[in-house]
Amino acid sequence: MSDDRDEAELLALLEDEYARAILAATSAKPMPVDTLSDRCDASESTIYRRVDRLKEHDLVEEQTEFDPGGHHYSVYASRLRGVNVTFEDGEWSVELDRRPASEEDVADRFTRMWQDL
Amino acid sequence: MIWGYTAAQFGAVLVSLGSTVLGLVVGYQAYRGFRRNDSRSMRYLSVGLVLLTAVSFSLAFFGTLLLRLQVLPAAVGDPLRLVVRLLQFAGLAFITYSLYSRP
Repeated sequence: MSDDRDEAELLALLEDEYARAILAATSAKPMPVDTLSDRCDASESTIYRRVDRLKEHDLVEEQTEFDPGGHHYSVYASRLRGVNVTFEDGEWSVELDRRPASEEDVADRFTRMWQDL
Repeated sequence: MIWGYTAAQFGAVLVSLGSTVLGLVVGYQAYRGFRRNDSRSMRYLSVGLVLLTAVSFSLAFFGTLLLRLQVLPAAVGDPLRLVVRLLQFAGLAFITYSLYSRP
């Protein structure tokens, strides 16, 4: 079953210590890659790789942070609150407890709406 | 009568004030959209909305007040109305332009 493979991949990802460190750090507040690199004691390319995999499973979400200097950068926020692995009736399954996705900023939504007209 | 205004005139001023506040809120969000997304069209939209609401209302309101208090000569009345209409036209022109400007 493809679901099983997804779930196995997910557990493999959670087995990774950097992935866990990223999920833990970004559960407190959204962070950019360079901050995560310091916090998790890993190179930025390691963080980028883990963040990409976490994004594939929708465990972190990317947000754009506005900087008054006009520089935009990405921050990452954890969407995973908990994992429940169940072994029952000869089957195993994984259940995720997700945080709701953050609300899009009204100015960004307005910009998108206006530009799509 | 409230401050020399009929109830209907006073109501009209209050509603115009409300429109100005709402126009400023939308204009402010458009300005934030411009700053956050470097969007030219949001800049023109923001300028257009502020001209259309806050600027033209303030000019009309204070102009009429000064006319009533006879600080300004009555002859200024018609040109003042023209300027207010021109500002509203400019506001709408900005908004129209923002629809066609990319991105």
